[in-house]
Amino acid sequence: MEEKIKLNSDSFQPLAKSESLDNEKIAAPSLTFLQDAWMRLKKNKGAVVSLFIVLIMVVVAFGSTPFIDHNSLVKSAPKYANLPAKIPGVSINGFNGKLKVAGKWVDEYRQNNVPKDKYFVLGTDYLGRSLAERIIYGTKISLIVALVATFFDLTIGVAYGIISGWKGGRVDTIMQRIIEIISSVPNLVIVVLMLLVLKPGMTSIICAIAISSWTTMARMIRAETLSLKSQEYVLAARTLGESPLKISLKHLVPNLSSIIIIQTMYTIPTAIFFEAFLSFIGIGISSPQTSLGVLLNDGQKNFQFLPYQMWYPAIVLCVLMIAFNLLGDGLRDAFDPKTRR
Amino acid sequence: MKFNRLAKLGLVAAFSAIALAACGSKSTNSSMASKQVLNWNETAELPTMDLSTATDTVSFDMLNNSMEGIYRLGKDSKIEPGLATKTQVSNNGEKYVFTLRKNDKWSNGDKVTAKDFVYSWRRTVDPKTASQYAYLFSGIKNADAIMNGKKGVSTLGIKADGNYKLTVTLEKKIPYFKLLMGFPVFFPQNQSAVEKYGSKYGTASKYMVYNGPFTLTKWTGSNLSWTLKKNNNYWDKKDVKLSAINYKVNKSNTTAYNLYQSGKLDETNLGAEQAKQLSNSKDYVVRKNASTFYLQYNQTKKEFQNKKIRQALSMVINRKQFVNKVLGNGSTAAKGYVSDGLAKHNGKDFTDSAYVKSAVTYNASEAKKLWAEGLKELGVKDLSFTILSDDTDAGNNTTQFLQSQIEENLKGAKVSVENVPFKTRLSRSTNGNFDVVVTGWGADFADPISFLDLFTSSNPENNGKWKNTQYDKLIEASKTTDASNTTKRWNDMVQAEKILMKDQGIAPIYQQSLATLVKPKVKGVIYNSAGVNYNFKNAYISK
Amino acid sequence: MRKYLLKRVFYMVLTLFLVATITFFLMKLMPGTPYSNQQKMTQQQIQIMNQQYGLNKPIWQQYVIYIFGMLHGDLGTSFQFSNQPVSYLISSRIGASAQLGAQAMIFGVFFGIIIGSIAAINRNTWIDTTSTVVSIIGKSVPNFVLAVLLQYYIALKLGWFPIADWGGFSYTVLPTIALGVGPLAETARFVRTGMVDVLNSDYIELARAKGLSKFGIVYHHALRNSLIPLVTLIGPYTVALMTGSMVIENIFSIPGIGEQFVKSILVNDYPTIMGVTMLFSAGLVAIILLTDIVYGIIDPRIRLSGSEG
Repeated sequence: MEEKIKLNSDSFQPLAKSESLDNEKIAAPSLTFLQDAWMRLKKNKGAVVSLFIVLIMVVVAFGSTPFIDHNSLVKSAPKYANLPAKIPGVSINGFNGKLKVAGKWVDEYRQNNVPKDKYFVLGTDYLGRSLAERIIYGTKISLIVALVATFFDLTIGVAYGIISGWKGGRVDTIMQRIIEIISSVPNLVIVVLMLLVLKPGMTSIICAIAISSWTTMARMIRAETLSLKSQEYVLAARTLGESPLKISLKHLVPNLSSIIIIQTMYTIPTAIFFEAFLSFIGIGISSPQTSLGVLLNDGQKNFQFLPYQMWYPAIVLCVLMIAFNLLGDGLRDAFDPKTRR
Repeated sequence: MKFNRLAKLGLVAAFSAIALAACGSKSTNSSMASKQVLNWNETAELPTMDLSTATDTVSFDMLNNSMEGIYRLGKDSKIEPGLATKTQVSNNGEKYVFTLRKNDKWSNGDKVTAKDFVYSWRRTVDPKTASQYAYLFSGIKNADAIMNGKKGVSTLGIKADGNYKLTVTLEKKIPYFKLLMGFPVFFPQNQSAVEKYGSKYGTASKYMVYNGPFTLTKWTGSNLSWTLKKNNNYWDKKDVKLSAINYKVNKSNTTAYNLYQSGKLDETNLGAEQAKQLSNSKDYVVRKNASTFYLQYNQTKKEFQNKKIRQALSMVINRKQFVNKVLGNGSTAAKGYVSDGLAKHNGKDFTDSAYVKSAVTYNASEAKKLWAEGLKELGVKDLSFTILSDDTDAGNNTTQFLQSQIEENLKGAKVSVENVPFKTRLSRSTNGNFDVVVTGWGADFADPISFLDLFTSSNPENNGKWKNTQYDKLIEASKTTDASNTTKRWNDMVQAEKILMKDQGIAPIYQQSLATLVKPKVKGVIYNSAGVNYNFKNAYISK
Repeated sequence: MRKYLLKRVFYMVLTLFLVATITFFLMKLMPGTPYSNQQKMTQQQIQIMNQQYGLNKPIWQQYVIYIFGMLHGDLGTSFQFSNQPVSYLISSRIGASAQLGAQAMIFGVFFGIIIGSIAAINRNTWIDTTSTVVSIIGKSVPNFVLAVLLQYYIALKLGWFPIADWGGFSYTVLPTIALGVGPLAETARFVRTGMVDVLNSDYIELARAKGLSKFGIVYHHALRNSLIPLVTLIGPYTVALMTGSMVIENIFSIPGIGEQFVKSILVNDYPTIMGVTMLFSAGLVAIILLTDIVYGIIDPRIRLSGSEG
């Protein structure tokens, strides 16, 4: 018996275009690069917590602007000088207005005849100004310094590094010489010179950062670009006649993202530390403004007697740093195409 | 003279001093510890041992203890015998004849003679040496002409008759001349050593010869520690009790205090906060200085020509609160421009005679009133200006305190502060590149004129350019017509200060002190508030 | 290779020359004079003093004299230490700083590599987390705060090491730690990141397939490749150590160059500022050259010429 397969004529009709593609359809919804990264980031608990901490700090620091301004910073009350932390209702030593003096806990608030209803959550500094207020303001200034440095890193640093590495030859040589010259002059000298042209304070620190902070980023980007340049896919793109701008945006930047993010996370503490270092030498932010660096430096001088004046800003700074670092790690894992498995 | 932490300048004054307990010479050996080694903290390097070019406190302290001059200044800047065994002064006070002792030797074995003084003084006034302290010679015959290059160094009014007789001729009577002889710039120098070492002279402990109670060792010219060792060639070596003083430079007060606590140091300077916390300690010692810190207004600017503005800015400063709560290092609220305890007449201190209460007293309501009136007179609603000061802790504290007091109390005042390194501040003051500057002045010698001279309109150091013809006349009179009449001269100066204060030409803030810790076992250290600070000749360590 | 080196050395000299020029003219803009007592000095004295320091000549002549002097190792005379040549000040203080810097670098890089490798090998375990936290905290504490804490707790309270001063090896321990923790944390992070990348790559899989031991893989393949980004960090480390030394030397009273530099700035000692700037610059430029050479050796993919085609 011959088995006959009945074939209808419509079996020989080509499929509609849409149907043919359906075959290859992937079940999961398609994701953009950013969505993809965000999903991965969400899985990293440390990074998410850090992200929230950073966000909270940014919101608190910048949100405080209407409340903590020049006028409230400048206000002093020497009669309340150097009071330790006091939170009403808390009776743990260290938070109840008591300070360890020569091995004994002494109620500084009573000693200084501070009214009963007056209290400072984190204590006061030597002019009787609320330390909590100053820490919030200091965080803002430190964040601004960090943002400025990051900005220069991402713009000048990345562009400079890619151009230098990509162009190669004479352009590269000249650009590298310029970097060498810039980074061969110690930062401190640049700041001191800035102080001549400008007054001490934010502007001169920002200028010094603008001049010198991006060189490390540029150098690292260049080194990585050099090695990426001879990679096959870049060669392929070049052979296909892609414009250098497109290649750098499509191929280089994504592949450089890990370095860029890590380096940015390196820049932020460096910038904040640089500012703190200037404060240590005494040429940082000028009063009544303050920064975490200034507070730390004031605190370390009195560490043996008024330890809280160093600990609180130090804790804030450390939490900020840790958050930035963990977030940096998380971002790196999320963005880096190489670790995508 | 301008004051700062690095170079506390020139000073020959006399007055209050702090000595610790009994004088060394009275002590018996039984109360002394067997090991007579002192460990002393220093806050800055030793820049030079060449007494002709020294400019800072550390150098002068080391020179004072390793060299010997005609006199040595004891407690309260009392003149004590140095190399001179006999002094003859002419009736008009213009000629001094010193007879020198024959038993003092340089550490290279040479005898110390009158010729060493002649050589040293000529070397210092020689413009080629470019000594920044040569101005103290002014008044000695021909000194000014030599410094200006108009006469040769050999014309200087100093002469050696034989080896042990020294004659000094002055142009006019100098009441404080004997005090000057205790200042290291007037000490002798050994010509053969200066010539032998050439440009290396005084740049390391081995390129230097000594004739004082101690000799300097272990100083390489740039290191952070050195030692003063007892000098066995010294004429009075039996009175020198210490066998060595070890100096260590610690620029951080925290570090120095840690070292003090661990027993590595016998003395340390305290920062503001440390001083406040430790003021009840039995080791706590306050060293009072003859220097006043004040606000200087730039009166080439219209707003500071207004007296009411100046007064308002002075009245708004709560000086008592500032020294007690903010500085906290024993500094006192200024009673006037001339420092307290500098000079007395008929038992009354100059500061009390010339006291103008309103010029140095806190009065916020009056300040507000004057400020509003002042602004009205100027025809403006608000006034912003900059307060310039040093970048030291004290400088920072001062400007922050002032800023907050002014902005809190005076409506429309906007203050920015600038804290710059001392030398930058100095050069900006000199060039008139400031609005208001916090500056200090210390006495060159124990006479109010040393302060008051500064604000005559012709004085190059009158940086604020405050001007008052009556003031100029009184100062001039005190130097000329009334010079010989002590009471008249005194009254001239009192009047002058009153004019300065009533016009609020400046606003005095505080009189400076230094807070230190010293181990109670250290006795007999002499500290003079002006001139060279430390004298260790009779210091010792008790059991 | 030799041609390349010659070229680089030439550029190095050119860089230093430019740095010298820029710094020189910028210094001339700075206010202040070497004299602390100028108003008390006579015109004659000031003139003679200016002559001694060569300040009376036109600026371009001072410049020429300075550059020529520098070629002979003469950096002028310090303003704050009378009659003290800057070259002497530097040479008498460079030892302590160099020793401290080298120790801190070795300490930081050595322990950084160890911690980083351990973390990468034990990725996503508690060991990894611990070492990450340690390195992050190390990075998050400013070195002057760390120095103060070490001095107070370790030296004063426990008495394990001297509080300050400069003598034998025991004096260097605390400053080395305070200074080296930054590089340590940085190194650990970079090594971990780099090594995680490498451990995931195909050739490591191959090595594993070949049956190489874990240690062999890490040592022969992973470490070598993850050290590449580290080399580029040595330059910035040097800068960080130079800057850090200013603060650390101040706190531990170490007679080093950084501390001297800060002091010079505060007292307008231009010749010393210039001298130290040149020294720092020369050191940095040399390190950058060295970095590039080393980079070429450990990653042959990068052509030393750095030029295209």
